[in-house]
Amino acid sequence: MKSTEAGTGRSLSAGSRLQMAYRVFKGAFFFGRKGLVIWDSWEMWVMQIFITPIAQMGFFAFLSVYLRYPLSETQFIVIGNALQAMSFSAVFAVANITSQDKWQGTLPSTMVTPANRVALFIGRAWFQVLLSALIAAAGLLYAATIFGVSFANADYLGIAAVVMLTAIAMTTFGLLISAVGLYMRTALIVANVFLFVTLLLSGVNFPVSVLPGWLQPVSWAIPLTYGTEAVREAIAGTSLLGLLPLLGWEALDALLVMVAGYAVFAGFESLARRTGRFEEY
Amino acid sequence: MVTMDEVTPGKMTEGYLAKRVQVLKASAFLTSKLFFADPQWLIPNIIAPFIFTLVAFFLFQGQTSGPDFLLYLVLGSGLMGMWGTTIYASANSIGFDRWNGTMESTLAAPMPLSWIALGRVLFNTLQGVLTAVFILVIGLAWFRTGFAIVNPPAFLLASVATFLSLSFFGLLMTTVLLLSRKGGFITNSMEIPVYIATGTMFPVILLPIVYLPFSFLLAPTWGIDAIRLAALPGYVGLPTTYWEDIAIMVVETVAYMALAFFLFRRVEAYAKRIGTLEEY
Repeated sequence: MKSTEAGTGRSLSAGSRLQMAYRVFKGAFFFGRKGLVIWDSWEMWVMQIFITPIAQMGFFAFLSVYLRYPLSETQFIVIGNALQAMSFSAVFAVANITSQDKWQGTLPSTMVTPANRVALFIGRAWFQVLLSALIAAAGLLYAATIFGVSFANADYLGIAAVVMLTAIAMTTFGLLISAVGLYMRTALIVANVFLFVTLLLSGVNFPVSVLPGWLQPVSWAIPLTYGTEAVREAIAGTSLLGLLPLLGWEALDALLVMVAGYAVFAGFESLARRTGRFEEY
Repeated sequence: MVTMDEVTPGKMTEGYLAKRVQVLKASAFLTSKLFFADPQWLIPNIIAPFIFTLVAFFLFQGQTSGPDFLLYLVLGSGLMGMWGTTIYASANSIGFDRWNGTMESTLAAPMPLSWIALGRVLFNTLQGVLTAVFILVIGLAWFRTGFAIVNPPAFLLASVATFLSLSFFGLLMTTVLLLSRKGGFITNSMEIPVYIATGTMFPVILLPIVYLPFSFLLAPTWGIDAIRLAALPGYVGLPTTYWEDIAIMVVETVAYMALAFFLFRRVEAYAKRIGTLEEY
């Protein structure tokens, strides 16, 4: 449908549409942050940013110590988990957006707004992107201070780029799952499955090459796989320029997931409007 | 309702127990119906522990081998499933009331909340046990290994005792989460730390010494050790014997039970006084 100025029927210029989309994004971003009532208390911040990564890193690090892995391999595991820990926020919380709307009875109101859907949902998810980056940063800090990972040769610009891009890329997966959640009773199951599958398939705890051949293409379809490889290279000293191929693949992957997410959302939205079953489950 | 005829010491005790058993049964039955109606039970029960096991399996590859090792791995996975279920369900047993708007009705029931919660937690822990069995079966089939345990009666006893200790730990947690709307979030955050603290996948003696008192205060730590001692030949875990593990677990479980009932009484009274349980 062509956008028109409210009440006049006149078509909006591309600039005006962009401006409106930006306003929707900004509003959704602030609403998204406020909507997370859980963030009212500082204890929840501390728990999410500082406890989640150390618990996950610790679990797999102790497991590798038990198995008498050499230190280098334990550190491989620790770095992978530092980055993967962001998935709880980037995937799980974002995937939950439509389900939460359903529980709270706000889904029909959200869906009848004439707001740009892409701007609206990216805006609502954007807070999680920032949070995910913070979780990964805390994880990498633990890697250096507790698990003895050397950052002597690290390219910090490269690390920052990988962390941010991975946070965005994983959030696109969260949005895709959230779009599926528009149809399902809850997206939590899909989100959880995906979350745990990333532990197995994304080169977090062992190289992708260890997996059976038929599973490896699935691994490379997950943006986190590029992220874990890139962050290890950045810590080892590869410059941002050297990381570009990996980051490029990760960005392309994220873009494809985003497009798929939009298509799925549009399809289910159309179906829900046709059948009038937005909240039925 | 208690009639005058029942107000004699003998009959009052009988009525007291019969009513509580009835509440336990009704509460557990309703929880089972809600459980099967919500497909999310698959997550903490099956998917999460099994994926953790698969990750561990890939990590373990080439390091160690043999059926005993695989049994260790699969047992750990099953125990994680039991733990995950207990924690997840305990938090949600009250949170669910909050979301559905049934909190007031539950609190207004003429029965202490602790007994209603206990019925829910007992069912949740029971399905945790079923989860463990289910994961064991899948794991053994996946890894194509046998299941020859050293001492089956001791294994059974340790499993039942661990089941009870998990139930009362779950009840204790419910009291803490009764006052918080962040129960789900807190339990999600607790999941991995308790897997670590209780030695589900590796012995707790690997943990830093400052972490050990916390581990030892968790009754399932001793239960898991007892289960492994009864199941695995040549298992070296905590520096305690099987019976010492059982004894410590029983003492801690009784302490959980006493503390849970005490806290429930206090928290329930407090909740009724402030009247803001559903507010957020």
